[in-house]
Amino acid sequence: MFHWLEKRPFFFAVAVFVVIAFAGLIEILPNFAQASQPVVGTKPYSTLELAGRHVYIKNSCNACHSQLIRPFKSETDRYGHYSLSGEYAYDRPFLWGSKRTGPDLMRVGNYRTTDWHENHMKDPAAVVPGSIMPAYGWMFKNTADIDTAYAEQLTVQKVFAVPYNKEIPLADGSKATVALADSLEGAHASALEEAKVIAADMKDQDVKDAVAAGTIPEIVALIAYLNSLK
Amino acid sequence: MNKTVLAAIIVTIAMLGFTYVAVGSAGGMGGEGDWVNKLAVLGAVVLVIITSFVVTKYVRQMQNDTATGKLAEENWDGIGEYKNELPFGWAVIFLGSIVWAMWYFLAGYPVNAYSQIGEYNEEVKAHDVKFEAEHKNMDPETLKEMGGSVFIVQCAPCHGLQADGINGKAANLTHRLDEKSVKHVINNGGNNFKTDYPGGMPPMLLQDPAQIDAVAKYVASGFKADDAAGKAAFLAGTCNTCHGENGEGMPSVAPKINGFDTAMVTTVLKDGKKGAIGAMPAFNNLTEAQVQALGAYVTDLSK
Amino acid sequence: MENRPLEYDYTVAKMFMLTTVLLGIVGMLVGVILAWELAFPAVNTIAGQGVAEYTNFSRLRPLHTDAVIFGFTVSGVFATWYYVGQRVLKVSMAESKFLMALGKLHFALYLLVVVAVVGSLLLGITTSKEYAEFEWPIDIAIVVVWVIWGLQIFGLIGIRREKSLYISVWYYIATFLGIAMLYLFNNMEIPTYFASGGIGAWYHSVSMYSGTNDALVQWWYGHNAVAFGFTVPIVAMIYYFLPKESGQAVYSYKLSLLAFWGLMFVYLWAGGHHLLFSTVPDWMQTMGSVFSVVLILPSWGSAINMLLTMKGEWQQVAASPLIKFMILASTFYMFSTLEGPIQAIKSVNALAHFTDWIVGHVHDGVLGWVAFMIMASLFHMAPRVFKREIYSKSLMNTQFWIQTLGVVLYFTSMWIAGITQGMMWRAHDEFGNLAYSFIDTVTVLHPYYTIRAVGGTLYLVGMFLFAYNMYKTMTSGRRVEESELQNASPMGA
Ligand code: HEC
Ligand code: HEC
Ligand code: HEC
Ligand code: HEM
Ligand code: HEM
Ligand SMILES: [Ca+2]
Ligand SMILES: [Ca+2]
Ligand SMILES: [Cu+2]
Repeated sequence: MFHWLEKRPFFFAVAVFVVIAFAGLIEILPNFAQASQPVVGTKPYSTLELAGRHVYIKNSCNACHSQLIRPFKSETDRYGHYSLSGEYAYDRPFLWGSKRTGPDLMRVGNYRTTDWHENHMKDPAAVVPGSIMPAYGWMFKNTADIDTAYAEQLTVQKVFAVPYNKEIPLADGSKATVALADSLEGAHASALEEAKVIAADMKDQDVKDAVAAGTIPEIVALIAYLNSLK
Repeated sequence: MNKTVLAAIIVTIAMLGFTYVAVGSAGGMGGEGDWVNKLAVLGAVVLVIITSFVVTKYVRQMQNDTATGKLAEENWDGIGEYKNELPFGWAVIFLGSIVWAMWYFLAGYPVNAYSQIGEYNEEVKAHDVKFEAEHKNMDPETLKEMGGSVFIVQCAPCHGLQADGINGKAANLTHRLDEKSVKHVINNGGNNFKTDYPGGMPPMLLQDPAQIDAVAKYVASGFKADDAAGKAAFLAGTCNTCHGENGEGMPSVAPKINGFDTAMVTTVLKDGKKGAIGAMPAFNNLTEAQVQALGAYVTDLSK
Repeated sequence: MENRPLEYDYTVAKMFMLTTVLLGIVGMLVGVILAWELAFPAVNTIAGQGVAEYTNFSRLRPLHTDAVIFGFTVSGVFATWYYVGQRVLKVSMAESKFLMALGKLHFALYLLVVVAVVGSLLLGITTSKEYAEFEWPIDIAIVVVWVIWGLQIFGLIGIRREKSLYISVWYYIATFLGIAMLYLFNNMEIPTYFASGGIGAWYHSVSMYSGTNDALVQWWYGHNAVAFGFTVPIVAMIYYFLPKESGQAVYSYKLSLLAFWGLMFVYLWAGGHHLLFSTVPDWMQTMGSVFSVVLILPSWGSAINMLLTMKGEWQQVAASPLIKFMILASTFYMFSTLEGPIQAIKSVNALAHFTDWIVGHVHDGVLGWVAFMIMASLFHMAPRVFKREIYSKSLMNTQFWIQTLGVVLYFTSMWIAGITQGMMWRAHDEFGNLAYSFIDTVTVLHPYYTIRAVGGTLYLVGMFLFAYNMYKTMTSGRRVEESELQNASPMGA
């Protein structure tokens, strides 16, 4: 039979394809519907947080940082509760990473703060002696891309029914809504409101001035994102 | 002995030795009975040994054997192909591994009813039981020691290994308060510790800059008895009504401000704190024992 | 006709040989920079604070992986296809104007994609999925390049004279199909600019899958990108170049057959080993673990087949650096395909995942197996495509030993680093508290990061020797006759 195939490239190719595709189906399909259900308390990202997530991706923080807490005592002691599938329901793409050159960041919002991040992103080794993380000085100057974040919000709302402007149940029984602006101007305005809160806790005068003048530096968006990781 | 075999043995021993020394020197982590550590090292060892010896086997065939077999009729660009049988060992292990995989997946695994979360719960329980058994009643020295170890992991990233706050980036825990913080709370009041002091502290109890300066100096330097001006301003601000004559604090009314104690640290850990220096997050997933230990440790720092 | 030697046309093969060498150097140079950055963070700003945005570790890392995978390796795959394909199918590209023209278009488009990739990654335009970082416009271009390659494969097969397909061709076909399927599914993404009616960056997209599902698809892809990028086409190479260079017949057809179909069948199931202890269901993880162990056998099958092909030919191994490269490559192939399954055992992965041990595994595979095999292939091809003998054998020998030392330093240091790091993360003190802060587990790695950087630098030096040797072969090697090119490649001193 194999000799027969080896003389018939078309059937050979079909045979190879069937063999490799088969495993793919079994490996992936069964989980699909179930895993995309959010757990209680999982909220979609606000415009500013999403812009910060884009900054995180742009700089490949995931090259060094995971966002997946495995169910081991050593990890829950260090990072908090182990990860649940539904917590990632609004993560497109997922950012689990595959290398922990730096610590996991899945719940870093629980144990680090705006001012700490500000100091740390500017010069990691000044805060944590011996750190090998690069300093991200340019984030204090580059402007965050709110437009693209808003475009992504509109897209996921439309295509994947991500519940913006809808009530979301929280763990303590209360409800919250994540607002999605109905215009680009609105999105900029709400992102700026959020940014002001962050900037108030920051010390860098250029950043404060920029936010006061209505532009949002990348670092502000990034910190909004990091603070949202809980 | 054949040179190649010798080489394989030397490579194996050298690598194992090197690995052993290096891993061992990284802090003596034999991992007391922990099979994950042992299995990993064993895996590395097995990997080196199997590869070295299997490859040596074939190298020896390159050295001593000769190629034989019936050639297939076809030939591609001059490349022929023998119709030799499968290497016996390979074929048997391949078959064996397939049988094992089917057995494991269809029988071995379902019967075990393994769950990673179940395993996690057991792991945590085992730790708790061990802790209860060994450290039920800790003496103060041991408590402090334990606090120090938690501090390095959880707190040092902000407060620094020396707990000095890294040039003002976080609170200097070797000293309860600096003038900046005192002034900040006088001017702005404070309501960080909602659980323990729900009323908070009102702002503007003092408005005269000179008085504020005096109190700040008085409080920050630790209620020096000879600082009459400071003491007077403290009383003028009615600070003593809540914090007590010497800043020792009153339960449910106001925290101790003349130094640290476990209650104060507990409060900070429970509610976090946002003040003149910056923001400190709340730490709600520490165990009760860890909080007590941190309290003992931090209190000791400024002594 | 059958008796007259065919005039094979290597125009396109030569073009891809060039990019193999160039992108190999670029990709590994970036790798070396990364390695030094981890050992000495000051290297992040070595070109000045102003351009640190483009030279820091995190911005460069995807550039390294993509340059060595899609640049160096894929170029090598194309180059060898355009060489091996003609010869084992006994048909010249010169016989089809269409295939020739398409081949040149293939190369031109490929170059275009390379430029787009380098530019966009430096600017930070990435989707973050490992080995699938490109945004949708580049995805589309890549699909086009890939389809053209498919047309080449099946076009050439269509006009072949050799009825039955040689083993290498099986593997090239599998490479084509495997990557096509994986790439398409993992890159399903929606361009936000169009979906939102023209807002934001035009090239930005959002993944069709979210969270755990996205991870599942990504690692189904990621694992098999390794399979169909770093294994299948490289096996295609060794099945041609080792027997050809040594003049030996392949040891066993049966073994070739079982190893091939075994590999095809088992590989795809093993992707779950990248997601152990994640939020993917237990049974899927277990499946990944179990099939990883089974995978040792079909992998070793090919390697053993090649080693046995050299039965009784030790003098060739001793004499020819070219054969040394290939024998060591099979050895490293066996090494990493045993290492992988060991790391896929759940309890081992509990320690190894996220550590440098994985990086060590990656590089004993790619440096010892993939890159060695690609360079050996190019060495064998050079005299045939340039009609000149390899410029210097002693340079080749030097390169071999320098790079071997480089690989050994690389993976031994990463082993120790990884296992140390893994143990320290897990360690609890006598009170059941974590024994080490995270930064302790970083600073302890400094010596190993330095050794790795040295090893990587040695490997890069070897790459320069390789490039120099190839260049000299092309320009000033002694001219050779067809008769000298039967098996062992002619080499100058
Ligand atoms: C070269 C690897 C590397 C890169 C790239 C990197 N980091 Fe880090 N990161 C580290 C290391 C090592 C640490 C631990 C030492 C420290 O705190 O600085 C760390 C720590 C952190 C922490 C503190 C977490 C904690 O629990 O203490 C945060 C937050 C962080 N990084 C965010 C980022 C962000 C955001 C980016 C991308 C813009 C980034 N990192 C890029 C290596 C890296
Ligand atoms: C009504 C009761 C009350 C009075 C009066 C009061 N305090 Fe307080 N004080 C508090 C409480 C409650 C807190 C805890 C603040 C919090 O929850 O953030 C506090 C906190 C403080 C702190 C610690 C801040 C820190 O950073 O840790 C200082 C210093 C302090 N008070 C000084 C004073 C001084 C000086 C006065 C007089 C001018 C004064 N307090 C009057 C209730 C009081
Ligand atoms: C993300 C950074 C961060 C971490 C982690 C952190 N702290 Fe703090 N902590 C701060 C900052 C900033 C302050 C100062 C707040 C202020 O007064 O402005 C502070 C204040 C404190 C204070 C109050 C000092 C005073 O005199 O009022 C105590 C006590 C304290 N920290 C203990 C701890 C302990 C114990 C831990 C570890 C479990 C810890 N902290 C972890 C940032 C941090
Ligand atoms: C039997 C064959 C193999 C098996 C079972 C296997 C298994 C594994 C495992 C378990 C991991 C680690 C996943 C993690 O914990 O993060 C891994 C990672 C990796 N392996 Fe292999 N491996 C095999 C062969 C190879 C070969 C031959 C190569 C390359 C030449 C290779 C390249 C890689 C790469 C690049 C990664 C890193 C993926 C990432 O980015 O996380 N593997 N492999
Ligand atoms: C000079 C030689 C090389 C050096 C010094 C080098 C260095 C590095 C470094 C420092 C990393 C990052 C590791 C980390 O994040 O901790 C890396 C990752 C990687 N390199 Fe290389 N590299 C080299 C050659 C290659 C080659 C030739 C290939 C492939 C053909 C390759 C494929 C990869 C892959 C796939 C990864 C990602 C691994 C992962 O995510 O687990 N490298 N390399
Ligand atoms: Ca990786
Ligand atoms: Ca893509
Ligand atoms: Cu894999």
